[in-house]
This record gives sequence, structure tokens and C-alpha cells, in this order.
Amino acid sequence: MSEKKDDGLKEDFEEDFKEDFEEIEEEEVEEEFIIPVEEKPEEEEVEEMDEEIKQMFLSSGIHIGTKILSGKLRNIHLNHFSASNDFIYRQTNYGLYVLNIRRTEERLHIAAKWIAKFIEEGKTHDESSKIVISSVRRYGKEPIRKFSEVLGKNVIARDIRFVPGSLTNPNMEAYIRNVSLVIIVDPHADKQALKEAKIARIPVLSLIDTDDDLANVDLAIPANNRGKKALGLVFFLLAREVLRLIGQISSDEEFPYNREDFESKIVPIMRE
Amino acid sequence: MIMEQCSCCGRKITPYENAVHFPCPNCGDVTIWRCEKCREAGNSYTCIKCDFLGP
Ligand SMILES: [Zn+2]
Ligand SMILES: [Zn+2]
Repeated sequence: MSEKKDDGLKEDFEEDFKEDFEEIEEEEVEEEFIIPVEEKPEEEEVEEMDEEIKQMFLSSGIHIGTKILSGKLRNIHLNHFSASNDFIYRQTNYGLYVLNIRRTEERLHIAAKWIAKFIEEGKTHDESSKIVISSVRRYGKEPIRKFSEVLGKNVIARDIRFVPGSLTNPNMEAYIRNVSLVIIVDPHADKQALKEAKIARIPVLSLIDTDDDLANVDLAIPANNRGKKALGLVFFLLAREVLRLIGQISSDEEFPYNREDFESKIVPIMRE
Repeated sequence: MIMEQCSCCGRKITPYENAVHFPCPNCGDVTIWRCEKCREAGNSYTCIKCDFLGP
């Protein structure tokens, strides 16, 4: 397991670093990050990705990982017997791991299908089942609030604190009945939600950054889970696709929101 | 009683463990089961219908 931060100060610094890095990224990355790694298997190069989507992804910093690579992701990356679950693209000269945006794009589509399936199946029961989405991270709160607002009352956002017992203790006021899926932004930060989903045997969808572990996660979306723009983009794309899949809109153009609506309004602290 | 099999390791799942099951995220047609151990270890599962490799 990675030696991930426990004290708030260190965490704040990391978040700011990442946010700062995004600022740098927009100017420099164009050349810096698109260069393919030589050792990559050839199939990686032939996989086409729509240029507009690619630019949207790169400009949000969704691919920017951390300097830590968790054991599980490292194993999969090193034994590339299957490219479909290798989330790592390369390591930069600064030692930063970069996520493979093709995998991010694929997983966003798969996650949208999965969420849509839970929503549709949930409707057929007497009491509609619920999806709980949790983020205690600073820049995750607004995206998940918006996601829940757009998808309706059966998607419940827990954006301040995940009250212990919410999924496991029916005697508590905070208890949420009939939960079919738990969505989290960060397995470390949202560890209470993850732990309770495990005990309550509820499937878990999580964003996975390079330093995150896959423990108790049933579907992973490789993505920067600290950056403001990255988180806004993830939940904008997910909400739009889910609405289309459940038939509430018939095309992406009908989606009445933009990326900024899903972004945190908190101004990042810039350091000298 | 039919015991479900873990989609990661193939072991029979007991009713006493914190196993999980869900529709395959990709095709939605197959129920994936993960035993407590495999889920905790983040072990990969494969869908028998569409070959989706999770998590
Ligand atoms: Zn197993
Ligand atoms: Zn499948």
C-alpha cells in the first residue's frame, strides 16, 4: 500500500500541487504529455481516439496522476498481458505517473452503462433503489452534488461527511435504505463509504488515481481525482451519458448543462 | 442450495462472507460474483459473456 497522507496539511499541499500542476499543464503539456512511450506495445498506438475528446481530456488534466504508483496498478502495468485494465500510460521525467486517457474514456462509457442499469432496475421494485455518491474531497463536493441534482432523488449525494452507519445501521437516522450502488471519488478519502459498502455487500464504482488501491472497488475509472477541472469533467460526462441511456435526453446536445456547472467554485490556493 | 462461484478465483462463495454480486458493467447480462478475499485484494474478474476485465 502507498504511504498516503493522513494529516490534513500534507493533503492540502498535495491537492494544491495537483491543481497548480494543471495550470502548468495547459501550456506545456501539449508537447510534453502526448509523446508516446517507446516501450508501449504496438496495439496502444493504433487505438484511435477522437481528437476533440482527446483535447477535452488533456485540457482538464484528467490524465495527471501522482508520483506514487500503487502496487496493484504497478503489477498490472508491468505484466501487460492485457491492455484493457492497464491504466498507466507512462512516467514523466519529473517522476509523475500519467494515466492512459483511452482507458479513462472506455471506463467512463462502461460506468455510465452500469449506473444506467442500476437506475433502470431500481425502478422496477416497489421502493426505488438508491445510488449513494460520496466525496469528502474539496473539489469533489460540487461535482457530486450536481450529479445527484441532475439524476434525481434516487441518487443521494453525501458531500460533507459520510456519517458512520449510513449503509450499515438501520437504527440510525442517517441510514439509507435499499442502496444498489455506491459511487466514490477517492478510495482513501472516502474510506468510510467504501468500508460500509463492503460490509453491506453493495457494488462500488470509484475513480482510481495512480496512488489508489483497487481494494473493494468493483469498477474503476482511471482519473485524476483531486483536480478541479478533472472532477468536473468526469461527472459532467457521466451525468450526460446516463441521462441519454435512460432516455431522458435523446442526444448529448439536449443536455442543458456545461462542464463548468459540474466544477467546484472554490478558488485554488496558489503558492509562490 | 446453489452456491455461487467467485468470478475471480472460481471458489464457491459462502453465505457468511462479505461477497458482492452485480451485473457485468459492460454487457449487463451476466451476474459477476466476487468473494470477500478477491474483492479485498482487488483481484481481476472476467465476464464469461463479453470478456470484460474488471475492476
Ligand atoms: Zn475469489
Ligand atoms: Zn459482460
